[in-house]
Amino acid sequence: MPVKKKIPQIETTEQVDWAPRIEVKAQLADLRAVLERIKARDGVVGYILRAETSASVDIKDPSKIIDYAVLSASTLESVEGLMEAFGLGKVCSVIVLGKDLKVLLLTVGEHRVSVFMEKNVDHDLICKELL
Amino acid sequence: MNEEVYNVALKTALTEIKNICPDINGSFILMNNGTLIAGDGQAIDSSAERAVSSIQDLAEKAASVGGLDGLLIEGENGKVYVSRINDMYFIAALSKQTDLTYLRNVTGVILPTILKVLDNISPETAPPTPLKPFQHFPQTQFKPAPSKPLGKEEVIEETVDEAEAPVSPEAPEVLESETEIEAQDEEEEEAQSEAEAPKRLINLPSQQLIVDKFGGLMVRSDTVQIDSEVLQRWGSLMDVKEIREVDVETFSGKTARCKAKVISDEKLEGRGLIRIPEKLCDTLEVKRGELVRVKPIVPESD
Repeated sequence: MPVKKKIPQIETTEQVDWAPRIEVKAQLADLRAVLERIKARDGVVGYILRAETSASVDIKDPSKIIDYAVLSASTLESVEGLMEAFGLGKVCSVIVLGKDLKVLLLTVGEHRVSVFMEKNVDHDLICKELL
Repeated sequence: MNEEVYNVALKTALTEIKNICPDINGSFILMNNGTLIAGDGQAIDSSAERAVSSIQDLAEKAASVGGLDGLLIEGENGKVYVSRINDMYFIAALSKQTDLTYLRNVTGVILPTILKVLDNISPETAPPTPLKPFQHFPQTQFKPAPSKPLGKEEVIEETVDEAEAPVSPEAPEVLESETEIEAQDEEEEEAQSEAEAPKRLINLPSQQLIVDKFGGLMVRSDTVQIDSEVLQRWGSLMDVKEIREVDVETFSGKTARCKAKVISDEKLEGRGLIRIPEKLCDTLEVKRGELVRVKPIVPESD
């Protein structure tokens, strides 16, 4: 049974505007419902949903929560650095391909979503569903 | 010379790839020794170095998903495509319309083929520097216990250095006896490291604990308080009398090494809490109620 934890996120004075605001009226509850649906799919390992002041984490393997959270946070930082270096503007979506898993990161309204999944899962479908 | 051959071959490959895929605005190859190779007409400036640094950071953090194999970023004005080829990373800045499947096919064929050809032509043209992980990866405090005794690695590095040192043909006997002595030393070191191995191979336990702040005039900012039960369990797992230090890692990846003591307030015992002084909380940017990962440090004397 996956453990679901709600962890208040650190408030930062410098909010990084790392992605364009996608015009979707995604209420947090709706977004969670979509994420729950996505998580129920085969091969989806879990998700992290970050809002300005809080974060919801739902990962099937609770021992991985912090590792995934760190990866999710550091990916955003690294990606930002890359986009600045290449002058490609704001980030719309990111796919990190690992040897075991892949991660889809994107901004939905005011929320940043990271979905962890196995490599055979079609992330385009998930992306469409979230946007 | 070897490095030159490699660099020229890869540089040419990048230029050719760009000719085939005109949507590539810039491309680089990050070699496993940290060397950055750019295609023709591209400068390795501070921004390229920054990009590389970002990728190295990400590669390090991606260990939790098995290591970084690829990365695709879709931005407002273009894309960034990163792909791992053997032990190197191919990095390309692309226009928005780029056909990624085509690019993948091209890079996935050309680069490995060139590398293979270079290796086959002459084994001497293999990457010049020893295969090391990226040089400026910071040593994270939460790396798992080494899979083999550190002593062995040190010995290997020493022998490599010695092998590279110029050998004077005038004093072969001295060298032979030195080598024998070194070989004996190595054996002794290996035996020592094997004897020490069981201790070093301990898989360090870690636990997620809930943060509780505390403060006061006499509070030391470098000391956290943890359940006695947790400390005892770690102590018995690691076969040490007392856990004196722990590493605390936050949700956002900040870490701190602190002294550990038993929770002084009995009411707070057994709740899975870690009591962190206010000042340290500020440093770590954690708040009460947040989760942190806590890992004990093996005392050196034990």
